[in-house]
Amino acid sequence: MKPFTRRTLMGVSAAALAAPQVRAQANVEIAVHYAQPQIFKESYDAIAAEFARREPGVTVRFITTPNYEEGNQLILRQAATNQLPDLSYQGFNRLRVFAERGIAQDLAPLLSREGDPAAHGYTPGILALGHFGGMQSGLAYAASNAISYYNTDLLRRVGANPDPAAFPKTWDEVIALSARIRALGDGTEGMWFQWPGDDWMFSALLFSHGARMLTPDERDVGFAGPEGLSSLRILRRMVTEGGMPQLNGTTALQAFAAGKLGMRFGSTAFLRNMMTSVGRNFEMQTALLPVIDPVNGRLPTGGAAGMLTARDPAKREAAWKFLRFSTGAEGTSLMVKNTGYVPTNQIAIDDPRYLSEFYRENPLFKTATMQVGRMVPWYAFPGTNSVRVTEVMVNNMARVVEGTATPEAALADMASEVRRLLPRRG
Amino acid sequence: MSSAVGLGAIKVTRGAPIGEALAGLMLTVPAGLAYLVMLLLPTMATILLAFTDYELGLPDWNWIGLGNFTEMFEDRGFGVALRNTIIYVGFVTPLSILLGLGIALLIESGIRGRATFRAIFFLPVVSLTVAMAAAWQYLLHPTIGPLNGLLRAIGVSSPPYWLSSSDWVLLSLSAIGIWENIGYNMVLFLAGLTAIPRELYHAAEVDGTKTWLDRFRLVTWPLLGPTTLFVLTITMIRSIRVFDTVAVLTQGGPNKASEVLLHTMYKEGFTFLRLGYSAAITLVFLVMVLGLVWLQTKALDKRVHYG
Repeated sequence: MKPFTRRTLMGVSAAALAAPQVRAQANVEIAVHYAQPQIFKESYDAIAAEFARREPGVTVRFITTPNYEEGNQLILRQAATNQLPDLSYQGFNRLRVFAERGIAQDLAPLLSREGDPAAHGYTPGILALGHFGGMQSGLAYAASNAISYYNTDLLRRVGANPDPAAFPKTWDEVIALSARIRALGDGTEGMWFQWPGDDWMFSALLFSHGARMLTPDERDVGFAGPEGLSSLRILRRMVTEGGMPQLNGTTALQAFAAGKLGMRFGSTAFLRNMMTSVGRNFEMQTALLPVIDPVNGRLPTGGAAGMLTARDPAKREAAWKFLRFSTGAEGTSLMVKNTGYVPTNQIAIDDPRYLSEFYRENPLFKTATMQVGRMVPWYAFPGTNSVRVTEVMVNNMARVVEGTATPEAALADMASEVRRLLPRRG
Repeated sequence: MSSAVGLGAIKVTRGAPIGEALAGLMLTVPAGLAYLVMLLLPTMATILLAFTDYELGLPDWNWIGLGNFTEMFEDRGFGVALRNTIIYVGFVTPLSILLGLGIALLIESGIRGRATFRAIFFLPVVSLTVAMAAAWQYLLHPTIGPLNGLLRAIGVSSPPYWLSSSDWVLLSLSAIGIWENIGYNMVLFLAGLTAIPRELYHAAEVDGTKTWLDRFRLVTWPLLGPTTLFVLTITMIRSIRVFDTVAVLTQGGPNKASEVLLHTMYKEGFTFLRLGYSAAITLVFLVMVLGLVWLQTKALDKRVHYG
């Protein structure tokens, strides 16, 4: 059922007029929320412009929050006061809260209306990114994985090959290279691994061993084994052997842009920002993230998914149309071109009409797409303590980085503190 | 008879003041309403919330009595935040008061450029803390910051990570806090200094004070008593309130090394969405501030008044 504007309604044939409900919803306005406008604004604006051409009867009004956490709060607050927007794009690991609190609606019935989801590019792997709380609580809009960024000038100065294909494939090599870059002196640092902020990069180390965050039944932690220990030991060696400085996300980006940091390991989502801040200071390159287990190794997926919150039937229908368009092949291509993210629609990935030219002209963006086969959902902890669990992990990583606890001690504390925060079940 | 006259007289004399009192009452209504709606009701709501387990977005909540407060005493995070806040106040209050007083005395005794120096030292007070925090982040940046550049130039091979090492972060934040508060304290002391009657200095000279130190010890310092007490309370309250620099520069990290009361309150309420617990922390904070104000009025009544 397509909504129409009054003008088209007057102009078009009796066939359209034959649909009785159409007149009632002549023009629908929907409120759409998304986070991180500094990263996403261009992509949503481009999609909204294209959507307006397809669906002239729907007006889209955007609401933004600076980051995912504030977006999370906004929706929870508005759910309490009954002022929800019609559609909200949330971080993957925050969807679970909305699914468990009955705020997000199950999208499976809407998807199955159109037949096999895979025929529209929603393969099981892509659907899994938005599957939480036992239902299809969201559709992936943008996905990211962790990659290596590096300063080719600094690599050349220590005699390393700056070609992405020759970039270190193991953390041992990365740590050795980092020490060589640091030896250049004058405040030059070798490497920085984005461990603060959240558990995402710890997941990257852990998953690339082939391990899991929790056991499959979610009753106990799955990171306390040898894989978790090895992950923390690598983190410690980055500091002791690689000379990794204590920076945070912002100061690391500043040091890198100033040409004082050799390698930076973090999300591909920053690519556009980094290209802008590096400018012509030096030549930046991107390469695959070193993996530990080449067969079973996986990487966590960051990014956002749209979840449907509209109750009014007309708005719900219009919001679903926007969600469907923004995550379809065309919407995804527009998103990719305007950010650094990986496409989340199989048609946009496979069909050369959509993105092949863009990747040919922008090879830096290609690195993340080469890791798509390794991507698994960013783990969202069950229960109400999920954000607190994240904090426990980051704090224990801080102890390892600062050397105030051995990897063994930090892992044991991490496990016991997380166990306490997991929901108790009979 | 006489009583009737008396009653009439009372009526007459009271008539006008009642109208006046009513008008006065009416005039206070806007302010009273604003106080009620903006301050009193939210405070009452916070007090009530502190005894519940309310979580943002969850439909049901329960009264849990003192549950939030008992949790607070076991919570390592709250303990660390309280300790850090006390350390921060312990650094910022005395140093910013002493330096503020010193600068005020220097400006007061100076002959030229008083207005200029006053403006320079007052600038940090009028500038936006969040914007200034960005400037501090650059100044203290471990690799590209000017401070560490300078340290490297004079031969310090690995200068500290000012804002990202747990050994230094609280000191660095305190230094920023001192810088923020000096100007404010200086202006208050300048006002206090101008209020000291000149004759007292002349009298002291007649009585035989010779040195600058004697004049300060015998005249300036005692007469600045009320001002100093006010500055002390206001600085303590201002530094207990530390939040912006922590939120912008460190987010309480690394490993809670710069976690402070208000940031914990904010994080519990708005990141972990536990509004009940967050309200309980707010209550503790409120009690601390009210305690300081009470101490001030007590002391003001008793000792330091030379009016």
